Order: sequence, then structure tokens, then C-alpha cells
Amino acid sequence: MKPGNAIEVKDVTRSFKVYLDRGKSIKEFTLFQKRRKYEKREVLRGISFDVAKGEAVGLIGHNGCGKSTTLKLLSRIMYPESGTIEVAGRVSSLIELGAGFHPDMSGRENIYINASIFGLSKKEIDRRVDDIIAFSELEEFIDNPVRTYSSGMYMRLAFSVAINVDAEVLLIDEILAVGDANFQRKCFDKLREIKKNGTTIVIVSHSLDQIEQICDRSIWIHKGLIRAEGRPKEVHAQYLDYMDEKRKEIEEKERERQIALGNIDPEEDAKRWGNGEAKFESVQITNADGEEQEAFPMGGDIYIKLGYSVKAPVKNAILGLAIYRLDGQHCYGTNTRIDKHKCFDLSEDGTAELVLKDIHLLPSRYILDFSIENAEGDPVDFFREAAQIDITSDTEEVGVFSVDHEWKIGEGAHGADK
Amino acid sequence: MKSLREIYDYREMIFSLVRRDLRGRYKGSVLGFLWTFINPLFQLLVYTFVFGYILPNRMVDRYYLFLFVALIPWLFFSTSVSGGAGCIKAQKDMVNKIYFPRMVLPISYVTSMLVNMLLSFIVVVVVIFFSGIGFNFHAILYFPIIVIMEYILALGFALIASAITVFFRDMEYILGIVTMAWQFLTPVMYPMEYVPERIRPIYELNPMTPIINAYRDIFYYKQVPQLRTLVMGGVLSVALLVIGCIVFQHLQRHFSEEL
Repeated sequence: MKPGNAIEVKDVTRSFKVYLDRGKSIKEFTLFQKRRKYEKREVLRGISFDVAKGEAVGLIGHNGCGKSTTLKLLSRIMYPESGTIEVAGRVSSLIELGAGFHPDMSGRENIYINASIFGLSKKEIDRRVDDIIAFSELEEFIDNPVRTYSSGMYMRLAFSVAINVDAEVLLIDEILAVGDANFQRKCFDKLREIKKNGTTIVIVSHSLDQIEQICDRSIWIHKGLIRAEGRPKEVHAQYLDYMDEKRKEIEEKERERQIALGNIDPEEDAKRWGNGEAKFESVQITNADGEEQEAFPMGGDIYIKLGYSVKAPVKNAILGLAIYRLDGQHCYGTNTRIDKHKCFDLSEDGTAELVLKDIHLLPSRYILDFSIENAEGDPVDFFREAAQIDITSDTEEVGVFSVDHEWKIGEGAHGADK
Repeated sequence: MKSLREIYDYREMIFSLVRRDLRGRYKGSVLGFLWTFINPLFQLLVYTFVFGYILPNRMVDRYYLFLFVALIPWLFFSTSVSGGAGCIKAQKDMVNKIYFPRMVLPISYVTSMLVNMLLSFIVVVVVIFFSGIGFNFHAILYFPIIVIMEYILALGFALIASAITVFFRDMEYILGIVTMAWQFLTPVMYPMEYVPERIRPIYELNPMTPIINAYRDIFYYKQVPQLRTLVMGGVLSVALLVIGCIVFQHLQRHFSEEL
């Protein structure tokens, strides 16, 4: 292993036998061992990557792509069929929290059991036990049996142990869903601190945001191979594009199936529904000069012109807008009722205009949905994915929106000497 | 060698699991840890009643004691083997999610059974004291040696049994029957002298024969076990532990797929 590396994975393959017919009787089991049918499912088909000491890497990919298997191989729960995996130093995994907890024993006793499973000696646990209790915020309850804990308290205790093990390599599988928002924040901060102290971290998560906040690099595993790796933002953009394609395909297939079943009328659009009294006929997205475009700079204005036709007058109509990110994150939504716009009826064909001023969405691709509802809130025309826009900027901010802000650094801080 | 070192690093896990098992077992019951002593005591009372009063055995003096000093070590062995068979399967969540040397599980199971046996022996010692049979302190010096021997033997079997059970679930139930039959083929309930000369060689092959005989020598006959018994027991125990380790190491790589 190269001196600067904490993890080296070389050409690793792994497959599983999935038994279709396991052979239920003794006769089948003993005599027809060869005949038992199974399918070989190749989960990893030769992946290689290195992780440097102190680096944080996120593994992403859709379900069944092999990312969790990779994590299991790294933690030595499973072994590769071919290829090699080397991991330097003590490994702690936040995969199974609260391993070995006994409900009738106290929180403190369970800390000792749980920590010992991570390979800590009694002395090492003695040194950490106060930190663990403090982190869990369970001081008052620590000598009560764990069965009296709420599930949130239980997870807090378990997480506190796992994160205070001081491993050199930390493996995490979808864990940051522990406890309330405050505790999640705290866990996150702790993870950052751990990273700063030089711990190597590998995270498997569906939350791209979390990976972007912690990781230096993302690895996208697709069908057992590495499809892309690099800066999280860039890899995630490719991944989201792919997922969007995939989702469209699935929706299309489902629609075809439903049409075949006669459940929906092929004339009807899957992305549109409503009673048809009024309908959007056109959606134009333009800049201030009226030129149609898809990409808008962050902080710019977006002009939307909606053309509609009316079959039957809609009294007290409500026009609505929703903005989604490609991963399905609902970023914003409003309508004329929420905005307390004065009531209006749609009685004949016409247009409506909407200006999104000083748009603060962070750079990404967004989907716009529009809707017409009647006074009762029933859909008249729901038009999903009516348009797409790209917000561009070179900002490094993370999240959904940019918030206007200003730093004021106090007297105590001095400018760095040049 | 590397795995031995690793098991040493995980020693605290073994202690924790043993502690959890012993302390957790009777948690919540009124008598709590006292049950550890009450169980063997009542067993002894029942045997005394049956074999001293209903079915008095005139061939063997104080049969209840004769039986008891052998039965307690036997129960340690048989539960280690038949109960230990399921010890990895029972912790499948842990095995599937966390890395630790897998041998820790059978080691903790057998160790916790060992502690139980030692506690039961306190009852045995108290009963011997009150029965007036007395002790041979020179013989008792051999007690730890025999205990270690039996521990090694039980661990060897538990390693094999627990590893095989992961792949072949019937093993656990098969072992339940096997240990029952095994008890009758070991001189637990009768002295070796009752065994017909012709089939004695079979008994010689049984690794539990020298161990049970040694326990009885120490506490019942108040004599130092024969050197031959000790050597036989030691060699068989170590051999089984080595086989157990090899089998276990070989099978453990595939535990997580099977569970």
C-alpha cells in the first residue's frame, strides 16, 4: 500500500448466488446438489479506487448498484471473490447501531458492551465513557435500563458510542437520520470534526446534500462498475441527469402498461390531468428582453408567459407554480390564493404572466410545474414538468437557496499576515 | 497466529458478552442471580430423593454425589456443544453488519457456560462439606487443570458446531439428540467398572471419558487423577481445539452470505 493511502481497492469482483430452488427435501439436498438452481448475480464487476488518509469519499448509485456491498467488503464482513482490498488502521462502522445492546441493562453497561464490539479495551472505554455520555445528552438516564428509553434516545446512545470510537477509518451507511434535527446537526458537526482530525471517511448515502457537505470526492457506482468519480457536485450532476432519464423511462413504461390494461386513455397525458374546463396552451420562459432561454444566472429575473384556452368559464380560478429539483426535491411552490392576489375568473382564452425576481435558487437544473385550480381547489389543469430551467453561477454555496447574508468578524480576529 | 492476536485485542468483547449473558439472564426475576445456585441445588435434591429413597443404588455409596460431581461438568459440555451450535446464527444481525473476529461468539458462549459451571461447583463443594465426605486438598489442585482441559474440548466442539450450523441449520437439532445419547455413552451415571470389557475401547475414544473420570477422582474418590487420564484428556482436547479452529477459519468467510 502506498504510504499516503488509507484504503486501496483493486479489481474487486463479487457475486451472489441467488437460489431459485433450494431443494427442500433431504433427497433433493443430498442427491441432487448439482441440480439446485441458482442464478449468479454479479454485484461488483471489477472496481478499483484508492482513498487517501484523511479523505472523505461518498459512494452513490441507485439501489442494488453495489455500493453497500462495497462498504461491506471494506468492513471485512464479506470477502471479495477476486481482487484485493487493503485498509489501514482501526475500522469503525456506523452500519449497525447499538449492536449487542441488552434491553435490561443500563445505558452505561451497554456502552461498555457496544464499544467492546468495536474492539476497544476496558481502559480505552473508561477513557471515553464520559465523552460518550455527554455527547448522547442522556446523563440523567444513563443508569436506567435501555428498555425504558425512547427509540430516539436509544439511537442517540448507539450513535454516540460508534462515533467516539476514534477509528482511523469510519464507514457510514445512511445514518444521519438519527434523533431530532438538533441531534442530527450535532452528529454532522462531529463528523466534520472527526474528518478534520484526519480520520478517513467512506459514506454510502442517498442524500447527495450530505455527501456534498462532507466529502471531497464522490464515486458513482453503476451496475457493479465505477461510472464516474470526482468532485461531488460534478458527479452528482451527472448522476441526477441519469436518474431523471431513468425516471422518465419508468414513468413511460408504467403509462404504457396502464394503457395496455385500459386504465388510462392513451390520449391523456401522464403529466397532465384536470377537468379540462381550461388548459395551458403555451409556456414561454424568457429574459427581460423577451428572448426565450433555458439558462438564467443566479440573481437574475425570469419571465414566464402562460397561454391558456377556456372551454367552460372557471370562477375564482387559482394559478399555481411549483419548482422541483431533478432529484425530486420540492424547492418552492406558491399560487395566486397564497399570494392573496385578487380573485379572477377565466372566461375566455388569454395569457398570464409571472416574473420570478432576483432568483436565489442555487445552480442546478429545475423543473417547473404549473396549475389551474377552481375555487374548491380541484384540478382544472395540472401541467407537470411544463418547463425546465438551469440556474448558473460559480458560487460554492450548498443547499437549495442562497440566503442574503453578511459576515461581521469581531475585534478578536486579526487579518492573516501575508 | 494473526487471528490469535486479534482475538486478544477483542478480549473486552468476550468479557462483555459473558457479563451480559450472566447478568442479563436472570435480570428482572425476583431472585436474580441466586437462580444460578438454586438450579443445581434443586437438581441435587431431586436426584437425592430419587436415587437415595425411591431407587436406592446399593452398588455405589452416596450415589447422588457420585452422579452430581459428574453431571455438572457434563451439562457444561453438552450445553456448550448443542447450545453453542446456534450462537453465530443467533447473532446474525451483528455478524451481517459489523466486523469482529467471529470466533469471539463461540468463545464467549462457552466461557459463559464455564462460569456457570464454576458457580454450580460452589454448591457441590458446600454439599460435600455437609455430607462429611471431606476433601483431599492435594487432589483438588488438579481441578483447574481438568477444568481447562474440558473448556478447551468444549470450545473445539462448539467452534465446529457453530460454524456448520450456519450452513446446515439441522445441525443444531441433530446435536441435541447426539449429546443426549452421548451422555449415556459416557460414564456419567455409572462407574467405568460397569462397562463390559469388550466395548471399553469405544469409551477410550470418547474424549469426555477421561475428563468425567478425573472430576470424579477429585471430588468423589478423593484421589489424584491418574497420569494416563490426564494425558489422554489433554491430548484429545488440544487436538479437537486445533481441528475446531481450522474448520472455523475455513468456513467463516462465508458466514455473512449464508445468514
